[in-house]
Amino acid sequence: MRLALTKLIPLALLLAAWQAASGAGVLPKSVLPSFVDVAASLAAMVRTGEIWPHTAASLGRAGAGFLIAVVAGVSLGLVMARVRAVEQGAEPILLLLYPVPKPAMIPLFMIWLGIGDFSKIAVIALACLLPVVVATFNGARSVDDILLWSARARGTSERRLLWRVILPAALPQVAAGVRTAIAVAIIVLVSSEFISSEKGLGYLIFSFGGVGADDAMLAVVIYLAILGYLLDRFYMAGIRRLLSWHAFTH
Amino acid sequence: MSEPALACLELSGVGMRYGEGDKALTALTSIELAIAEHEFVTIVGPSGCGKSTLLYLIAGFLRPTAGSLQLRGKPITKPGPDRGIVFQRYSLFPWLTVRANIGYGLAEQGTPRAERDRIVAEYVRMVHLEGCEDRYPRELSGGMQQRVALAQALACKPDILLMDEPFGALDAQTRRILQDEVRRIWRGGAATVLFITHDVEEAVALGTRIVVMSARPGRIKEVLTRDFDVGDGEDYDANPAFTRLKLRVWHSVKEEVDAARA
Repeated sequence: MRLALTKLIPLALLLAAWQAASGAGVLPKSVLPSFVDVAASLAAMVRTGEIWPHTAASLGRAGAGFLIAVVAGVSLGLVMARVRAVEQGAEPILLLLYPVPKPAMIPLFMIWLGIGDFSKIAVIALACLLPVVVATFNGARSVDDILLWSARARGTSERRLLWRVILPAALPQVAAGVRTAIAVAIIVLVSSEFISSEKGLGYLIFSFGGVGADDAMLAVVIYLAILGYLLDRFYMAGIRRLLSWHAFTH
Repeated sequence: MSEPALACLELSGVGMRYGEGDKALTALTSIELAIAEHEFVTIVGPSGCGKSTLLYLIAGFLRPTAGSLQLRGKPITKPGPDRGIVFQRYSLFPWLTVRANIGYGLAEQGTPRAERDRIVAEYVRMVHLEGCEDRYPRELSGGMQQRVALAQALACKPDILLMDEPFGALDAQTRRILQDEVRRIWRGGAATVLFITHDVEEAVALGTRIVVMSARPGRIKEVLTRDFDVGDGEDYDANPAFTRLKLRVWHSVKEEVDAARA
């Protein structure tokens, strides 16, 4: 517990310095609103309940895209690791997609899927897919041959090998890929909501920014940071329980 | 030496080549070996002599390029639970508890839960792992992990137990304890054993027949019989017959190590 608090000291100092700089006039309001103003703005949004419908809309989109990516990514990664032809066919496509800034594809997805939720979910899914596929593929590929031999020698068929050995053995790496995907989902979510949205945290940031309400805009950014942090903590706590057999190094 | 009458495992003219043409590598050639039911045979030889390859052929992980392998009269074509294998490491599934690891083969063959639990409990007792049933492999020492691996292989009631340098990664004391353990289990009639090692003392201490392999290409150089008993916990070197046989095997292996180096 003491260690956990110690870790928070630099963050507290940073926020205090921000507030002090605002109070001393070093940071004028036109450059950066004060921390207290931002915090008050966030508190007001939570108290009035203004932020909840936007949170729900955003989490729905991010969650849907994320889930599609996990299911598709784990499946594709496993098949790539087992079927040579699929690996060779998918690899150049994935390598080309990797460096593409996914939010840049939003206009294209809107042409295909309309300006509603589907195009946003699709672009989130695509962005989250890559870390999941790569992690699953690497995890499934690095399963020790002896483990596979051991399973075969105890009567496991080639088809069951995937579920009985390869997937569980790859799980620690899959879990790491999924963790990356959580962060990616939030990043791409906000970008996708900047464009053509009437609801969502990205829309809130964009609309507050547009009218010069910088404290409210920053309040939503901080809210997103806290949300992302909590999601990651919950996820890691769940994974540590689920994979208690594995020695995590972080 | 008389050929065993009832063969559990029979290898005739077994050869293994990797690759093609100029780059081809002959790992094994003209292997003739018959192992009777309830025998304990050890194979010893210099590293790279193909002893692990031979075991993988018997396990069915590899297919020979020459000859035939038969287990109780049936040709070996693929891996199966009738051959229980123990590797030097990584035989256990890290995500399964000791209990689930030992019961893995039984579960794969559809043994009902209740019977599986009963059999697992029996083998947990046999390898002295009572109280560790719910632990994961990473929570166990190397020696305990190998006990689990042994129980995992035995639980399927294999026709033959194949051990690939199973104690090679353990410290001397643990190795000695597990040698006594394996000998005790074998005496109890649990299985016929084929045991691979590069440790001459281990080969003599465990095998009633000791197969010495030549340097690459691996072939059977000679087969020695140990016609005296070795007791559990006995000081091997206090027995002059043991020391004589150990030296005899050691010289035979050393010739091959020197030949491989030349």
